[in-house]
Amino acid sequence: MMQRIYDWIDERVDITPLWRDIADHEVPEHVNPAHHFSAFVYCFGGLTFFVTVIQVLSGMFLTMYYVPDIENAWKSVYYLQTEVAHGQIVRGMHHWGASVVIVMLFLHTLRVFFQGAYKKPRELNWMVGVMIFFVMLGLGLTGYLLPWDNKAYFATQVTLEIAEGVPFIGEATKTLLAGDAEIVGAQTLTRFFAIHVFFLPAALFLLMGIHFIMIRKQGISGPL
Amino acid sequence: MKKGKGMQFVGDSRITADKQKFIPKDYSEYPGRTEAFWPNFLLKEWLVGAVFLVGFLCLTLAHPAPLEKMADPTDAAYIPLPDWYFLFLYQFLKYEFASGPYFVLGAIVAPGLAFGGLLLAPFLDKGPNRRPVNRPIATGLMLLGIISVFWLTYEAAEHVNWEEKAENNKPVLQPEVEIDTESAGYAVFENSCMQCHGDQLQGGGAAPSLIGIDYSVEELKDIAKNGIRTMPAGQFKGSEEELQQLAEFIVSVNEQVK
Amino acid sequence: MSEKKQQVSRRQFLNYTLTGVGGFMAAGMLAPMVRFAIDPALQPQSKGDFKAVAQVDEITNEPQRFDWTIDQTDAWYESEVTKSAWVYKQEDGSILALSPVCKHLGCVVSWQGNSDYPEQFFCPCHDGRYYKSGENVEGTPPPVGLDIYEHKIEDGTLYLGKAKPREGA
Repeated sequence: MMQRIYDWIDERVDITPLWRDIADHEVPEHVNPAHHFSAFVYCFGGLTFFVTVIQVLSGMFLTMYYVPDIENAWKSVYYLQTEVAHGQIVRGMHHWGASVVIVMLFLHTLRVFFQGAYKKPRELNWMVGVMIFFVMLGLGLTGYLLPWDNKAYFATQVTLEIAEGVPFIGEATKTLLAGDAEIVGAQTLTRFFAIHVFFLPAALFLLMGIHFIMIRKQGISGPL
Repeated sequence: MKKGKGMQFVGDSRITADKQKFIPKDYSEYPGRTEAFWPNFLLKEWLVGAVFLVGFLCLTLAHPAPLEKMADPTDAAYIPLPDWYFLFLYQFLKYEFASGPYFVLGAIVAPGLAFGGLLLAPFLDKGPNRRPVNRPIATGLMLLGIISVFWLTYEAAEHVNWEEKAENNKPVLQPEVEIDTESAGYAVFENSCMQCHGDQLQGGGAAPSLIGIDYSVEELKDIAKNGIRTMPAGQFKGSEEELQQLAEFIVSVNEQVK
Repeated sequence: MSEKKQQVSRRQFLNYTLTGVGGFMAAGMLAPMVRFAIDPALQPQSKGDFKAVAQVDEITNEPQRFDWTIDQTDAWYESEVTKSAWVYKQEDGSILALSPVCKHLGCVVSWQGNSDYPEQFFCPCHDGRYYKSGENVEGTPPPVGLDIYEHKIEDGTLYLGKAKPREGA
């Protein structure tokens, strides 16, 4: 039955080559941890992606309870963490995932750097990767504010002070981020929420898509 | 797949008319120990992923995500700290050469140079050599960067008493209590304590909330006279009788919370 | 030939293992999240406390509307919600408290809400009608009769609990 549905679609849209290309490409020996244990360093990129998937899923589920509003944000986080079944775990996954993804990205970046894997022809992919790192830091920064606890509030104030320190455009940048020239409050929270949940993830997905397509096109870098 | 002239498509689409069924590739075509991505290699990746996931879930279960008190902009005693991966930058901005008149240098130029250098690494390090030992400048700069980030992070984290910070900022749902502003104890409170602890005992910039504390009458009398932590001694000015009324009043308010 | 057969079975074996490991990862990831999401459906129904609504001697044979407020806790949001009921004494002297929420699409019905239909509850949204007993009038939109509040009387005061659907509804 499934086979016939698949064939019916394939006959019309020709989907087989799309996944066959991914499924059948040959993976060389030097990146295979089953052959060389030291090849575990090649796992960091994949693990980064895995944690990103965890982040996206847990984030989606967290927004079922979370409200980005200064009156209720903290209360809703407290509620979902203490009253809702497994809320502690789901928020824990998102919280710790945010740290683990940075660690994994860091290790992945170091692997690529020290192996010189960014050299021709992979310069562009390296730059996309650095941008992914930057977007991830942005996600960490904006996500930090969302529980609206003391830590979140004061850390964000410091961040906004730094943004204000930028010459010429600093004041405008700060106002745009905080939503108000003076107050770090209601509008800051909604802005950070929008950035954290829509804008940066959109950028992240785009960059990751480019990153993966380029990896597939260029293949993995050879052994040292 | 053959391309170019002679290809036939379905209608005016780009889908080839003579579609060939997929024939699995013969592994003997590839020399060395290469493997197909699916399912051979992916299985290994996913085994690593499964082990990683178990470890990750253990971490999640062992350490619940911290949540501090609800944001209170008037809490002047709070020491703000960024998330750990920004600690190095936070520490860097403490130094003289990165603060005050050099703030732009420390907060914008230095991180900008580091980030720009990282972004443009393939164009700065153009040689054909890939081994780290054969490109000492790139390797050296990166090692220097890593060491300084680690060291700055350590410097920043070392001065923080994490346990005390967590203890002081435990989440509390502000319990609702009714305060009898007519009582004798409240009158004493108004005179001696209200300026710092607020008219509803809610606390303020310099003093904590008096709701949800666990002290006996005797202990409260002692604190009012002799102070505690950042509270100086001698704040209470009044008679022994008033002191008794005050302590009983605070205890009675806290009994509502229990 | 036999070698080829073995290769196929090895590939199949790998596929099964891969599916198993993938399923394990998906389950490990999603199990807590799904449990988290479906939590509201697994919460026990709130009992609904009885609230004092009216004095028994105020209640007549004619349905009267009584309003009262309850404290409602909606997750992290606490509020006071006004509820109302149509209350009257039945012929045998017992008290009947009907929910004013129309069983058709949830509008609010009122006693003798339409002068064409005296002695009936009338819903202005789709002309739904109910007899005094709360039974729906056949041929009007509501499929069943109005919900009935649980009630008890203590010291001459009427207490109402939760509105319950009729038996057999």
